[in-house]
Formats: sequence, structure tokens, C-alpha cells
Amino acid sequence: MNSQELYAQRMSLIDKALALEPVERIPALYMGIALAPKQMGVTMAQYCSDPDLALAVTLDYVDKLETLDGINMHPSAHMTIGLTAIWFSRILTPGKELAEDALWQVQEEEVMKPDEYRVLIEDGYEAFQQLIFPRVIDLDFLAAGQKYLVEHGNGIFRSIEERGYVPLCCGNTTIPFEMLCGARSMQEFFLDLYRRPDEVEAAMDVMVPDLIGLGVGTAQLLGVPRVWLGGWRSASAMVAPKLWDRFVWPYYEKIANGLIEAGVMPVFHWDQDWTRDLARLRELPAKKCALNPDGMTDVRKAKEMLGDHMAIVGDVPSSIFAVGTPEDVREYVRALVSDVGPTGLILCPGCDAPINTKPENMEAFAAACVEFGRGA
Amino acid sequence: MSSALLTALSDLEEAAVLDEVKRRLAAGESSGGILEDCRDGMIHVGKRFENDEYFISDLMMAGHIFKQATALLDSGKTGEAREPVGVIVMGTVKGDVHNIGKDLVVGLLRAANFAVSDLGIDVPPESFVETVKETGATVVGLSGLLTTSFDPMRDTVAALAAAGLRDKVKVMIGGGPVTGQVCKYAGADGWAANAQSAVTMANAWT
Repeated sequence: MNSQELYAQRMSLIDKALALEPVERIPALYMGIALAPKQMGVTMAQYCSDPDLALAVTLDYVDKLETLDGINMHPSAHMTIGLTAIWFSRILTPGKELAEDALWQVQEEEVMKPDEYRVLIEDGYEAFQQLIFPRVIDLDFLAAGQKYLVEHGNGIFRSIEERGYVPLCCGNTTIPFEMLCGARSMQEFFLDLYRRPDEVEAAMDVMVPDLIGLGVGTAQLLGVPRVWLGGWRSASAMVAPKLWDRFVWPYYEKIANGLIEAGVMPVFHWDQDWTRDLARLRELPAKKCALNPDGMTDVRKAKEMLGDHMAIVGDVPSSIFAVGTPEDVREYVRALVSDVGPTGLILCPGCDAPINTKPENMEAFAAACVEFGRGA
Repeated sequence: MSSALLTALSDLEEAAVLDEVKRRLAAGESSGGILEDCRDGMIHVGKRFENDEYFISDLMMAGHIFKQATALLDSGKTGEAREPVGVIVMGTVKGDVHNIGKDLVVGLLRAANFAVSDLGIDVPPESFVETVKETGATVVGLSGLLTTSFDPMRDTVAALAAAGLRDKVKVMIGGGPVTGQVCKYAGADGWAANAQSAVTMANAWT
């Protein structure tokens, strides 16, 4: 089978899983942004500065694993620019602020002052970006990254497909909560929710059309009708219900529906524990979204509540990849298939397999997906 | 106990707590006594967290109110508060610059009347060792958000052992990806799934 035929077969399989239809075997995805360069002998500094190299080492590493059907998420340009754009925070970068082979990290600091909610409310999202970006990123680097995205981003995803792999998501968007939390710093932003809730809500409302546009525009540019819709600090375990019901869920609902109306499937990439509020996802149209938890959300509860409503992508925890054994990985996948499969499941590392994944554990993941996913 | 202060802190009423602290100071009450009432309020907050009534955002707000209240009390300090219930060294381990979880735990431990040496972020093992020697701490808390913090956690536990301190301190670890499996890997004595359980564990160890 050539790579085009392989891609078509794998895409068909993933489409069935996303539609909750019976599958001949359970599909499995790679996810390990920093792991591929680590395993292929490329430094994190090289990975962050050279998107062509980042793509090449990722595809080569996935080839080595042999059995995976696709890649959950791959950066469409320079890795750290994408992070800056959705965190509104400075990213400490390998080869710059950090050692050549260190992992990038988000710098937690208050880059936005409380009176600057007014900029969003009165002048809009674009003016707000122009205010914040100079504080968190070199503007020449940002411009170079945007140019790369426009000129080469689509090619990145065609290259993934031409190698026979399905890119599950392209690009990313999130809710206003996450971006403002990054800009204000978590401590200050959480206090804002108690101290100036009306102002925060008004600023969030302004951002919604732009964040829908970000997801839809990226999907159109990159030619993949599925978008990563992220959440990390807005998780149920982090936010009191009365705040979550006001500042988190309504925005997921609006943005997800906006994406769906434009023909784009939101893939809820939810880190942390969201178990308390999983039922809210039933308010979205059935089979038009997917849930991608990271191992902290109760995935069995998710299956129970959402099994007839949306597919689950995940959720082998990062800690097992880092400190577990191949047998631990195998057993996790076995139990996951048994309890959450066979329909509506796409096997994948939760969040991602981290940089310090033991290579034998990633190999065990790929092998376990074949062992337990076949004959579904 | 002042029910007004306890209720206001327990309900996260920032202005009401600070007004009540000021009122009682102006009325001539000792700051030590008022501080104890604030700590009781924080105990109520912790219980509400354990009962799934409160979440991380509430703990952060409570910690911030408590910090402001103690600042007011420090400025007009009179009377004696209780002796600390224990001495703890806390830090985010080497190679990791994340401070939110660590800061939250430090705030709650201080509210629970622990003396905490906060070493900050990106802390090498030798700094934990030196500070345990200097302070006589009996608990060490190691924080990390990245999975790459697991090895520095293990290195820190090993450094405490190499310095002959391992049987004198209990080590707890915590942070997003930390699990029981990581606890075993690092050689720690316990792991905290959240900030409040770190306080519960520290109380059990002292």
C-alpha cells in the first residue's frame, strides 16, 4: 500500500471513530512535541528555530514507531510563537534564555495591568494584541513566524498526509480565560474574577469572534477541518463552579458552536481534571466535537457520560511515559481499550508524551495500540 | 473566636475581613489573637475545599486575603501568636521555573502556622540540603510542573540522604504530573494531589 492509500485508509478509520461508528481496529496517534527531536538527536533550540527540521524529525520518529495512524498536533510554524499567541506570555526559549537542549517554559509574570481590560473593551482584540505582543515576543521573530505560517503552513500538513499520516488537529485556539490568565498571571487573574468580574466578562465577550476566527482561519489556511481547542487553567478542578459557569463554559460553548457552524470540528484538548463538568459537553451538537483529556480527567466517567455524544482521544498519562515501564504502558492501554473502547476511541498520549519519555515506553505504546486495538 | 472574622474569611469576603481586622486592632485587641482567628478561618476554607465546596481559585483568593490580613497585623504587632507547629523547606526543583502551585502551598502552610523557608524556583539540591541544616526543618516540599522535574526531585532526595539528613526529614512532592508512581521514583515519603492535601500531610508529619 502506498502512502496515499495508507492515508486514505487511516483517515477513513479516524473519521469512523470520530463519528462513533464501528471500527475494524482502534486508531492510534502520536503526540510528543519535544520527544521526537530528543529521540532523533536534534536540540530543542534547533527544533524551535527551524520548522522544516521540526517536521522532518517528527515524521522520521513516527516512521520509526511504524504502526501509528497519525499525529494529534504538530506546530504549523515556530513552536514558541504558537505558544505566545495563545498564552499572551513570554516563552523562555532554548538557545536564548535557556540552554540549547532545555525544554521551553512559559514565564509566569503580570504582563497586562488591570486597567488594560479597558483596551480590549473599548479598542478591540487587535489593539490589545498590539499592546501585549511587544511585551512578550520579539516583533521581528513574530513577523517571520507569521510569514512562514502563511507561506509554508499548508505545506507542513500536506507533507504529513503525503507520508501517510492523518493530522488530527491543526492550529489552535482557546477561550478568553486562558489568554487573559496568561497575560495577567494566574494569581492576579484569579483575583480579578472575584474583584472585577463585570470588566473581565466584558473583555471576554469582545474576544469571542476573534477566537472563533482564529480557529476557522487556521483550519482553512492549513487545510485540516479539525482544530485544537485548548484548556488548562480553566479546568474544573481549578475554578469554583459559580466562576466556571460564568467565565469558562459559556465561552467554550460559543467558540465550539462557532467552529462547528463553519464546518470545523473542535477537539477539546483539556489538560487537568474536568470531571465535574463533563456533562456540559452534551450541550454541544453530537458527533461534531472530540474530547482529548490528559489522564487527570476520569476517562471512564467521560465514556459513561459522553460515549454516545463525542469521541475520546487519549489519554495515557505523561508520568507513565516518563517513569513507568513498558508493562505499565501496555496495561494502561489494555484497560483503556477495555473500558473506553472500542467505538469512539482514538488511542493517544494524554496531553503529550514528554521530552523525558523512555524510548521503550513509546515503543510499548505503539505496540500495545496494535495488540489491543485490532479486531475491535 | 470572632464569628464575624471567621465567617468573612470562610466566605472569601475580602473587604469584610480587612475591615474587621482593622476594627479589632483599633479596639486594642492583640494582633496575636486576631491572627489566630484568621487561621481558624483558613481552616474552614480548607475544610470546604476537602468537601468539594471550594476549588483552587477559592484557595488562591483565601490565601491572598490572609496575606493582606497578616500584613495589617504585622504593622501593628502586639501580643504573641502560637509557636509554629513545624518548620518546612519548600521550593520548585532545579530546571523548573513554575511557582504557582508552590506559592499556593507556601501560603496555606503559613496560614496553618508552619514556619516556611521558601527557596523559590529552579532550586538545586544543595540549597535544600543547606537550608534544612540551617533551619532544622523536619519537612521538605519539592514542587514541579514539568515531567523533567522528576529527576531533580530524585536528586534532591538523594542529596538529603548523602548529607545524612534523610532520616531527619520527611519529603513530600507535588505538581501537575506528580503521581504515586512518581513519588516512588523520586524516593519521597508522600505526594500531594493538591495544595490542601499538602497541608494535611504536613500536619500529619509534625
